[in-house]
Amino acid sequence: MLFDNDMMMFLTKDNQNNKTNDLVNEKEGLIRGNMFESEYKPYKNYNPNIINANNDKDSLFLKLYETNFAIIDLNLYLDLHPNDNQMYEIYKKYVNNFEKLKKMYEENFGPLEITCVDSDTYNWIKNPWPWDNDGGNQYV
Amino acid sequence: MFKYSKKLEFPVNIKKKDLEMAKYLVTALGGSAGELAAATRYFIQSFSMPDERGKALLVDIATEELAHVEIISTMFRQLVKDATPEEIKKYNLGDYYTEHSKGVYPVNASGVPFDAKYIQSTGNPVVDLAEDMAAEEKARASYESIIDLTDNEDLLNPLLFLRQREVIHYNRFKELYEDYKDKYNM
Repeated sequence: MLFDNDMMMFLTKDNQNNKTNDLVNEKEGLIRGNMFESEYKPYKNYNPNIINANNDKDSLFLKLYETNFAIIDLNLYLDLHPNDNQMYEIYKKYVNNFEKLKKMYEENFGPLEITCVDSDTYNWIKNPWPWDNDGGNQYV
Repeated sequence: MFKYSKKLEFPVNIKKKDLEMAKYLVTALGGSAGELAAATRYFIQSFSMPDERGKALLVDIATEELAHVEIISTMFRQLVKDATPEEIKKYNLGDYYTEHSKGVYPVNASGVPFDAKYIQSTGNPVVDLAEDMAAEEKARASYESIIDLTDNEDLLNPLLFLRQREVIHYNRFKELYEDYKDKYNM
């Protein structure tokens, strides 16, 4: 017998292809619109521009965008490959990092969700909202 | 249920009004392959998905599409908010302005309002997923046309991002479609 059962387990589709080797970092992932090198299909010769942050607030916000995006893209992959534990470990790292960044952002710059009550007063309603770009460029 | 997060999925900051592009871009909101159709289509189809993977994938992509509705609405608003009535007439947006002024309303590039006929829910997961794959391809092609029509980098970055998301969603739907074809022998 060529393979025993353990060996067959090892040769499941997810492990064979090891999709984690196909990942780009979250900075590249956000501007490309996906985390997987082999699935990136650029349009013509267009190259998306690097997003630059101009101050500490924008820089933290941009990190939040990047980490959030990695979570979104890995989430869709994991929906179809729930047994890919290597990918799940990376997903967990992004989620933990996102929670830290979110807390740091909310403590300094206001709530991202209605359950954030770091401030002494109710400041959920405060501008800017995501579509506002009148007062500078919070949205990078 | 849904939770609102006070941020976009991808940063948008359009510094200059552009009525002509606003007129084309609005189809990505209210057109037949637009984001509102996508969010609604996948959300309602999730209720008849046969297994855990299908339920999760449809709900998660629907949620992301709602974030795309927000991105396109943000872009549209930023493109029109400083326009004068003369500019609105010049770019043939007078019909839109009469009813919606500078509000965000889902229509296609020819001004036809969003229609539930753009979406389907057959209760058959293989059929629904085939529709979803086609919808993602149509949305990708439409983003490519919009990209062809502008050289404004404030628009290009989010448009290229949204286009690539269509590619990824297509790949995910296709994988599930092929699994279901085998699994349910359809």
